Amino acid sequence: MTDITITALPAAPLHVFEIWSNPAAVANRFETALGRSLPVLGRALQLPAMRLIRYEPAVWLVEGEATGLAEILGSDGSLTAIGGGLVRVRLRGADWRSLLMEGGVFDAESKTFAPGCSAATVIDHINVRLFVESEDVCLAYVPLSYAHDMIHFWTVAAKALP
Amino acid sequence: MNGPQRGGVAGTIRFSFDGKPLLARPGDTLAAALLANRIGLVARSFKYHRPRGIMAAGVEEPNALVTVGTSGRSEPNTRATDVFVYDGMVARSQNRWPNLSFDVGSVLGLAAKALPAGFYYKTFFGSAKRWMFYEWFIRRAAGLGDAPTAADPDRFSQRAVFYDVLVVGAGPAGLAAALAAAEAGERVILVEQDSVLAPSLVRDPQDLDPAWAEATAARIGELGGRILLRTTAAGYWDDNLITLSQRLAEPGEPPAGGIAQRLWHVRAKRVVLATGALERPLAFAHNDRPGVMLSQAVRTYVRRFGVVPGQRVIIATNNDDAYLTAAALRDAGAEVVAVLETRPAPAGASSGFTVHNDTMPLTTNGARHHLREVSARVDGKIVRWQADLLAMSGGFTPVVHLHMQAGGAALDWDDASQSFLPGAARQNVVSVGAAASVAPVGPTPPPENPAKAFIDFQNDVSLGDVDLAWAEGYRSVEHLKRYTTLGMATDQGKTSNMAALGRLAEKQGVAIPEAGLTTFRPPYTPVTMGLLAGRIERDAGAHLRRLALFDVHQARQPIWQPLGYWQRPRAYPQGAETLAEAALREGRSVRTAVGMTDVSTLAKFEVSGPDAVQQLELVCATTVGKLAVGRGRYTFMLREDGLVFDDGTVWRLAEDRYLLTSSTGGADRMAVHLSYVRQFLCPQFRVSVVNVQEHYAGIAVAGPTAKAVLAGLIGEEVPRHMSAVRASIAGIPVLVLAASYSGERAFEVYAEASLAEPVWNACEAEVTAQGGCLYGMEAMEFLRIEKGHLVVGGEIDGRLTPHDLALDKMLNKAGGYIGAAGLTRPALTAPGRRQLVGLEAIAGTIPEGAMLVTAPGQPADGHVTAAALRVLESGSIALGQLVDGFARHGEELIATSPTRNQSAAVRVVAPHFYDTAGERYRD
Repeated sequence: MTDITITALPAAPLHVFEIWSNPAAVANRFETALGRSLPVLGRALQLPAMRLIRYEPAVWLVEGEATGLAEILGSDGSLTAIGGGLVRVRLRGADWRSLLMEGGVFDAESKTFAPGCSAATVIDHINVRLFVESEDVCLAYVPLSYAHDMIHFWTVAAKALP
Repeated sequence: MNGPQRGGVAGTIRFSFDGKPLLARPGDTLAAALLANRIGLVARSFKYHRPRGIMAAGVEEPNALVTVGTSGRSEPNTRATDVFVYDGMVARSQNRWPNLSFDVGSVLGLAAKALPAGFYYKTFFGSAKRWMFYEWFIRRAAGLGDAPTAADPDRFSQRAVFYDVLVVGAGPAGLAAALAAAEAGERVILVEQDSVLAPSLVRDPQDLDPAWAEATAARIGELGGRILLRTTAAGYWDDNLITLSQRLAEPGEPPAGGIAQRLWHVRAKRVVLATGALERPLAFAHNDRPGVMLSQAVRTYVRRFGVVPGQRVIIATNNDDAYLTAAALRDAGAEVVAVLETRPAPAGASSGFTVHNDTMPLTTNGARHHLREVSARVDGKIVRWQADLLAMSGGFTPVVHLHMQAGGAALDWDDASQSFLPGAARQNVVSVGAAASVAPVGPTPPPENPAKAFIDFQNDVSLGDVDLAWAEGYRSVEHLKRYTTLGMATDQGKTSNMAALGRLAEKQGVAIPEAGLTTFRPPYTPVTMGLLAGRIERDAGAHLRRLALFDVHQARQPIWQPLGYWQRPRAYPQGAETLAEAALREGRSVRTAVGMTDVSTLAKFEVSGPDAVQQLELVCATTVGKLAVGRGRYTFMLREDGLVFDDGTVWRLAEDRYLLTSSTGGADRMAVHLSYVRQFLCPQFRVSVVNVQEHYAGIAVAGPTAKAVLAGLIGEEVPRHMSAVRASIAGIPVLVLAASYSGERAFEVYAEASLAEPVWNACEAEVTAQGGCLYGMEAMEFLRIEKGHLVVGGEIDGRLTPHDLALDKMLNKAGGYIGAAGLTRPALTAPGRRQLVGLEAIAGTIPEGAMLVTAPGQPADGHVTAAALRVLESGSIALGQLVDGFARHGEELIATSPTRNQSAAVRVVAPHFYDTAGERYRD
């Protein structure tokens, strides 16, 4: 019996947080304001009301309350809303790693892909961002237009995992 | 003589072969079950329809090809030795008519002398058409099983995994290698094509207790290793990527878990090949008769399946291993009449069997399609033995296929075993066990009648055919293979290649390694098309993108249209309306009242930052910097060569924040282009470019009363044409852009996609109240063609300049945009270029895509890019590209489509058929 539950979460505020100049200064302002460093590539920062996932070298995905981030960026970057275009899908259960290998190309079964890690990959030709919330939970950020098919694919695949 | 027998309890699994109901035991292969049911005749050979039985016990079986399953699940050319019987299995023999025992096609065997290797090339001369005639007969006279015509009802999975070590083959060597790696803390995957671990230990328990295999596997599992049975490593690719074919259901069997097969893509840091070795047959006359089997296969049937394939047995061998078979048969109650030993005395002397040294079979005779007699020359005299089983062993061939697929730099020749062993490897791969070393063999004397001494049983190739190819000048082993068909089909030379190479080397007068090798290509064993092309669900891997408002549209029962990667409403028919009727009604509503449509799929990018305008003025060929906040304009983009590749609108939303829209179909390309400019051309820009295509759902409201609709919705003054305002509809924040693609006053309303449904509903209610309706892609196409708006992929096809499209007046006169330099090339302004024109039908309906010619038979001067009916008036109109089109207004041409046998007389006109002054945009 496969141990996995696939749930599409309600829409949430999502923003792109991009730095175009003075990254060190922005990082300092961020740390001063929030008491934590900006996460490095492949990692995420979880704060009580906000999660930051590094997307690209100078781009982070911000989930949740983004108030105050524009001030931190100042004239060194910008914040752009993108929440309407992504569906958050929660994969809960011991088999989420195995599920992500179906139609996938990324080693989600590696122990190094641990809680707090993030990744960008392609699953069944759909671009998906992943965040390991805990050993039993992974969040996938799926483009809205593909979310229905992605969830259906996972639902079917979950029934026949090896 | 009794032929195959099985003692003990009867089987409990029901299956059928050629319609005859039979019983099998759990764990039986089809081959074992057939033998247990005393069925020795299983197939007819490919070319001569010779009766064939079961020769092997694994994937190397060349003879016993059957079709398993029914309808869409039927799987032809399945080796009876590589399919496990399940309840209800339906198996059928192939390439015979009217039945297996009496096959009319076997007359071809009588004409074998007239059908030698390469007979096609010698016989079927003449034109290609004649070959089509010949082929019809050849296809019916020779061949394998028939591919099913019904759709395969099963699902297939593709899966990626990453491991430190992949071990191929779960025999003793493979299990030991996997255990060692697992104990060293490595991530291990071990795959075995059989349904049991270490099948060789079941066959030869004297080597090691089979329980060891189970215990070892359990330990590997405890250490986190994965073991897959019924899984074949079918292909070895670069960077230690190995593809595995896993059977979750047997051929023809309805899969219990919904998925029939799984294709694994394994990335391994290291690969261990424990693929074992295959036994070679001996070449002597009529060695293909049912009842002539490989020695280890016989032992497998006896020890693993409890089936004794014969009661009076001749053993023929050039090595020690066959004596184990003799002992197994003796222990099972069979009589080993004689051992024909090619090696000189004292080989076999201590075996306890009657051994004739320096001897090998001369020929066999049969009755009722089964072995009856074996003869050999013993001490110069021909001796005949009554026998129903001949177990032969010509030595062993290590399975080096994967090693060579991996780019094996070489194979090392081992004279003692007369076999190739894995040499240096170019990837991190090592071979172990019998794949790396096999026992020595003695000499194998050539047969006295090579014409009937088969080496490739599946393709009916005898040593005589090799001799013939040599005599006809075929020297290269690759040519030999193609001329004789040796080593082709499901067999891939598993049991034949070494014999052929040996014969070729003998002819060449060289050692076998010097005779050359054929290319090792994946897959080594057959994989089904379903495994490669099958999907877990119908659209898996090729999903159509859904609109955010998909459910809203679906409730209105539109005709859906795939457009790019998207699924979009084409029209919303009412009652029994056809597509054309619905589209015209919808278009007329837009022209006379109001209509609304979903434009969410447009590419959209938010460009922000102090250098946003510089970024946009690089990408857009029009001016951007002069836009006031709240204003927008039409724009288009050029490639570096100066040709137009996309168009859209650009809006200044705030002092340093812009929204750029472009075509749906070019959205991904535009995203790449913007990234290229941002990251590569101008990394110094202080700008952020964010793809918000999916963030916003878009609704276009167009028509003479669109302004009234919008005013009612936002409760404030609507923006003038090419202006933007932020407002709210149904309590949802929206961005309203006054832009038109229809020729009417129109607005695009953008809301966050997850919040868009109430906005749509509010708009629809207001539109309906104003006497309007929804419209789809078809009406949109009519409207935009009539107005002369361009579409990417139609008029903008990457071949025309701004001038060709009559856009040059909009170019940024200051230059500086991408493509500006390319535009200065003389060729782009030379006469003879295709240019945008309008076309109106003089008679008939203009076929879309038609060629534009001056007279029938003349070369095309251009083509119709898009055609439509006039929305309010009658008549057929179109847009097109025409050589020197600007100067040809008024000229009459023919729009002709030979492929559809359609044509229409057309007049070249300006590409604007409606409101040429643009007055309807303005209030």
